[in-house]
Amino acid sequence: MNSALIELRGVSKSYRKGGETIDAIADIDLEVQETGMVAVVGPSGSGKSTLLHMLGAMDRPTRGEINVAGQVVNRLSQGELTRFRRQTVGFVFQTFNLIPNLTALENVALPMEFNGVSKAARLKRAKSLLERFQLGPRLKHRPRELSGGEMQRVAIARAVANEPRLVLADEPTGNLDSRSGQIIYEVLREISRERTVIVVTHAEDLARLADRVIHIRDGRLLDAPPMPGLPLDRNELHFVQQRAI
Amino acid sequence: MGMIFLGLRNLLRNKSRLALIVVLIGAPFFLLLAMQSIGEAVDQQTTEMNRSVNTVLQLRARGSMGHVNMSNQDRLLPDSVVEKVRAIDHVIQVEPYLLAMSPTTLPNFAMHVGLAPAAVKRLESHGESGNPRIIAGREFTPEDAGQDVAIIGQGYAEWAGIKPEDIGKATFTADPTRTHPVIYGINRPKRTLRIIGMYASGYVFGDLQMFIPIDTFRSIYGIEHGFSWVFVQADSVDNVAAIAQRLQETVGDVADILAPKSAAVFTATTSRTVIQLAGAGGVAALVLMIVVVFFVLLMQVRERAREIGTLKAIGASNGGVTIQFLTEAIAFTVLGGLLGVVVFQLLGEAITARLFSLGIGSFLPSQYKPLFDSLSVSSHVSGSVLVLVVAVAVFAAVIGSSYGVWQAIKLSPLEAMKDE
Repeated sequence: MNSALIELRGVSKSYRKGGETIDAIADIDLEVQETGMVAVVGPSGSGKSTLLHMLGAMDRPTRGEINVAGQVVNRLSQGELTRFRRQTVGFVFQTFNLIPNLTALENVALPMEFNGVSKAARLKRAKSLLERFQLGPRLKHRPRELSGGEMQRVAIARAVANEPRLVLADEPTGNLDSRSGQIIYEVLREISRERTVIVVTHAEDLARLADRVIHIRDGRLLDAPPMPGLPLDRNELHFVQQRAI
Repeated sequence: MGMIFLGLRNLLRNKSRLALIVVLIGAPFFLLLAMQSIGEAVDQQTTEMNRSVNTVLQLRARGSMGHVNMSNQDRLLPDSVVEKVRAIDHVIQVEPYLLAMSPTTLPNFAMHVGLAPAAVKRLESHGESGNPRIIAGREFTPEDAGQDVAIIGQGYAEWAGIKPEDIGKATFTADPTRTHPVIYGINRPKRTLRIIGMYASGYVFGDLQMFIPIDTFRSIYGIEHGFSWVFVQADSVDNVAAIAQRLQETVGDVADILAPKSAAVFTATTSRTVIQLAGAGGVAALVLMIVVVFFVLLMQVRERAREIGTLKAIGASNGGVTIQFLTEAIAFTVLGGLLGVVVFQLLGEAITARLFSLGIGSFLPSQYKPLFDSLSVSSHVSGSVLVLVVAVAVFAAVIGSSYGVWQAIKLSPLEAMKDE
């Protein structure tokens, strides 16, 4: 029986640029277990964002198969993809991407509305999430009235609003100072206790906090797939050992 | 909240831009209302004119005035003309007249007109446009056919010494033997006619006539066959030209045909042209509106590409995105429409009249311009016009926004990542 939340088998992604084929991702096999925080690190252009986009069904692989929570995402129809993004995955963006004319509360409630949650229920949950992330006094504030760190916490609350099994964060501290970044690490760490959080980051501090670190370079993974039965925190050790070699 | 609500909230993101867009859409709406009101006014005026305009054609014997006792002008239409004319399509009434001239104080003369008792009394001097009305006594009845009775104009009555209070008792003696430089005598006995009615027309010569039942007229002047004039009534002004054409083909060899050409031509060409120009202006306004919506929506989609990507990334469907942008587009056009209506109600009459003289008046032949100086353009916006405004707003929004909405639908959720 396979308990992996994410399974990638022979996944490649190529682009055509100026008559030349560029392999952003080359024949990747990967499994990620349910719950915990996974950091994807690598130099710019290594393919880590492309990997994240494919996991979130924003982009399709050229070859291979991506299975997330029992769904082969690269075979989903347009309607199924929309449902997948609503229910299975939450996104946290580097630039927060809050809707500027909605309050913090409304921003968090928005994905629940797409998911058909009643108004009372979604406002109650949005309020509870924002209070959990110390944003209780900021419920009625619009994004322009919030600091960068506050905006990212609102974005994280929005990402988990529909209780997805997977949260994908692309450089979530890239636009924040170190103090705000630290708070975001803690929040991501906290939400990863209930779900899988995959973070693409350049930040060494954040990578160090992850249960597992996946290194990627030139579209290829540098770490081995997790060994069956190995606890997540051992994967880090496994990677460190690999790196040492 | 809903995508509709989100769309409405988006309107208020940039209030000065909203104001500019509403003005840009309101202006063509104003133009549309102005064109609609010009078209309506011209249509109304045309209907009014068609109602009063002559739909009567007149036939006379070729080259003759058709007066039974006028030198060189006494040739009459043959009897067969009447039956031929009655057989023509769209002819609803055929009324034959006989006319004789009767000297008064030289060099003046009056006109004796023989007609069927039920026929319309037309004034010789003003043709079809005269409007004699009885001021004393009564009209003819069918029983007056063949009787020695007459209805006299007030000018002719004054010359003959007949007062309005004498009507019914007064008599007039018709003498066919009397002459005048252009009138020859007909050797027939005098006939005394009882005056049963007096009319007034407002025209000096128009009041110098006397109407007599046509059989009585034939008996007085000894005219057994033929007619001086035959009046042909068309069922509509639109058919006047066709009837004239048919008359020409049927009786053109013996008759001169006098059609009310100017009115028919005016109706057929000018009014139609003005209405078409107004319609074209309305279409131009609609196109302008669609173009404004097109560019506004395209700009919104381009500006908000990342936001659209984000909405899709967090679970918005293409249908939801469509509803959001369509709501914005409809809100823009409805607000523009309302602004157009308000401005039209406040300034419509003055601006529309100016618009008409500059935009349409200059296309009209000069002889028609005075007719349109009196064009009554109303700035009143009725309920049906409001419904039209909303319908046009929705139509312009749907058509104008379709490309922008399509662009939004095509956007990938990856757009959310673009600036990262």
